[in-house]
Amino acid sequence: MRVGKIITAVCIMLVAGLMLFGCGGEEKESAETSKDNGPIKVGGLIDLSGPTSSVGRPYADGLTAGVNYVNGQGGINGRQISFDLQDTAYNVQQGLSQYKKMVNSDHVVCIQGFGSAVTEALIRSLAKDKVPDFSASYSAHLTDPKKAPYNFFIAADYSTQLRAALNYFRSTWKESRAPKLAFIYPDHPYGLAPIPAGKEYAKEIGFEIVGEANVSLKAIDATTELLPLKDLAPDFCWIGGTTPSTSVILKSAKNIGMNTVFFTNIWGTDENLPKLAGDDANGSYSNQAAAVYGQDVPGMKVIEELTNGEPQMTHFTRGFVSILVMTEGMIRAAANGPITGESLKTSLETLRDFDPMGLAPLISYFPDDHRPNMAVFLYTIKDGKLTFVKREILDRREDWLGH
Amino acid sequence: MLGKCGLFFTSYRGEAQVFQSCFQKLMVGLLILALLAAPFALNVYMTSVMNLIFIAVIGAVSLNLLTGVCGQISLGHGAFIGVGAYVAGQCTLHGVPFLLAILAAGLITAMVGMVFGVPSLRLKGIYLAIATLAAQLVLEYVFLHGGELTGGSNGLLLEPPNILGFSFDSEARMYFLLFFFAAAALLVVSNIMRTKYGRAFISIRDFYLSAEIVGVNLFWYKLVAFGVSSFMAGVAGGLWAHYTGYISGEQFNIGLSISYLAMIIIGGMGSVIGSVFGAIFVVLLPEVLNMLANGLGGFFPDISHYLVALREGVFGMVLILFLVFEPEGLAHRWRLIKAYWKLYPFAH
Repeated sequence: MRVGKIITAVCIMLVAGLMLFGCGGEEKESAETSKDNGPIKVGGLIDLSGPTSSVGRPYADGLTAGVNYVNGQGGINGRQISFDLQDTAYNVQQGLSQYKKMVNSDHVVCIQGFGSAVTEALIRSLAKDKVPDFSASYSAHLTDPKKAPYNFFIAADYSTQLRAALNYFRSTWKESRAPKLAFIYPDHPYGLAPIPAGKEYAKEIGFEIVGEANVSLKAIDATTELLPLKDLAPDFCWIGGTTPSTSVILKSAKNIGMNTVFFTNIWGTDENLPKLAGDDANGSYSNQAAAVYGQDVPGMKVIEELTNGEPQMTHFTRGFVSILVMTEGMIRAAANGPITGESLKTSLETLRDFDPMGLAPLISYFPDDHRPNMAVFLYTIKDGKLTFVKREILDRREDWLGH
Repeated sequence: MLGKCGLFFTSYRGEAQVFQSCFQKLMVGLLILALLAAPFALNVYMTSVMNLIFIAVIGAVSLNLLTGVCGQISLGHGAFIGVGAYVAGQCTLHGVPFLLAILAAGLITAMVGMVFGVPSLRLKGIYLAIATLAAQLVLEYVFLHGGELTGGSNGLLLEPPNILGFSFDSEARMYFLLFFFAAAALLVVSNIMRTKYGRAFISIRDFYLSAEIVGVNLFWYKLVAFGVSSFMAGVAGGLWAHYTGYISGEQFNIGLSISYLAMIIIGGMGSVIGSVFGAIFVVLLPEVLNMLANGLGGFFPDISHYLVALREGVFGMVLILFLVFEPEGLAHRWRLIKAYWKLYPFAH
């Protein structure tokens, strides 16, 4: 027995010793790419499979097209971008391990991310490793550099989008009574995120909130949820979901004869909605952050050339814009020295009204405010086509930062 | 060969030893030394994969105690891990030292687990599975609508673990912390299995009526199994929370529960070493598939697209193949390999 105890004691001391002295920290190679004219490494963590892959794929295609375009134009001062696209499958654990590999083994300068689950799980690591992440999760709390210093994205956040739409509908309201408003959203972090902000602002500008309903992202019918709402007769109904759930809601509303103006957030409407919901989609509004295919802006010519005139979804365009903004940051960083995650962040924060070839509203980042802009494109569906309605721009209000 | 061709015990104490032969002790010692040296040899990515494995091992071995040893199937294990994550997160956010926070996470998760374990007195098999599935759904709802307590849809942001001023802020440092907890979890479960409680659990699993007839208080022992298992799940959750630095309700969904069940099925129900194998297998599978996809991508540019889409399918396929060809899991294969080499080259 005594021998056993001695062995145990030795082992414990060994472990303690190793923990205190041995692991003085992992080798801190900076993310700076070693050679000044080698390729600049960028990692892509996108949902190519799993529940969100239907929008993840076109977004990833947009990123790839963006990288090809930038490289075709001569890259960043002659240096090419090498883009390593990996699948995260909407799975946090997988995203984390991919991220660790990209940052520690491949030494990427920057990440092009995607969904909220992985993006939010990475907030701390990004700040620690000093790697900027351009996500397609537009949650408002990612815009506060105090909480998420290395997170960026290129569209107005969900809360701003909802506020902008409310603002538009309030300004077009002609009757003397207050317009009635209802919210439909999935009981899911993504659906819940903009609701408090939306309710607060709706009250502020004189909406009457009459009700709300939860419709799951996977719903195949929403009649039960919509019937109580129908009796409340809202004039406007917010749908915070994805394209499939929006189509279910629109079809169910038609079935029960609900007469209201539906408006959806950025992931709730895309070119697939008219295909899924048919005529029921006509007349609904949506928030968008990028031009639709074929729109007459300079950047669309480039995209049309890159894709040989094959129509692409709006997610594609946003991915493309994300690369353009990153590239602008890198060019500015390169002007002041080596391109590292840190210098990229600093130079991104000097962007003021950067125009991504007209594909998205002008983009600015500030050291204490990562909201790219306060502008939203409102679209409506007319004869099965996304049709531009208005560009709504809100004030950059201090108290809205991060909410 | 100097060794005997079998193990002969002359005392109960000898038979109940965790490591039964000197050779085994030597090998385990070498393995521990190798694992202690590993972070110095591995790069940061590999270390992070090891860290994920350690956390998975704790979760898997705790579920194996409940499902594999005591026979009480649980589809709510992912949510129990989530409870631990939130409790530990809230504790450290309010200034409680890390180790105490982990302890609190374990205790509160044990309580939650026992509450949801109460129906196990009346429910068996598939019915219990549905009852624990309800636990999963209820807890997921709480995570999402817990307000300040869970951070709602924003989740909680946490600092890396800090013990007496020493911050575990790198992968290598986390490695030692997680290694310690994983080893402790394995030791605890191995030891529980050779106590009165362990034997009672096994008797309940094998046939509850016989167990009751020989004087096993079914309700008490089932409740203890839920409690101990949930305690360790809570610890795993607390570690996961502080390892990733961010928790949200989405992380602890039904998928997590299923993947833990998959671990113990692949590894081997009721076997401690099986939990380890299962955890390693399930954590490594996506990494290996990714490596394959990337490797083949050089020859067939578009293959990664297809492989990526296939991954869920491959995972399901592997599960089915295991159920068909290896119903006792990797642990059984491991025993066969050991037996083969023990008598090599003169097997019976």
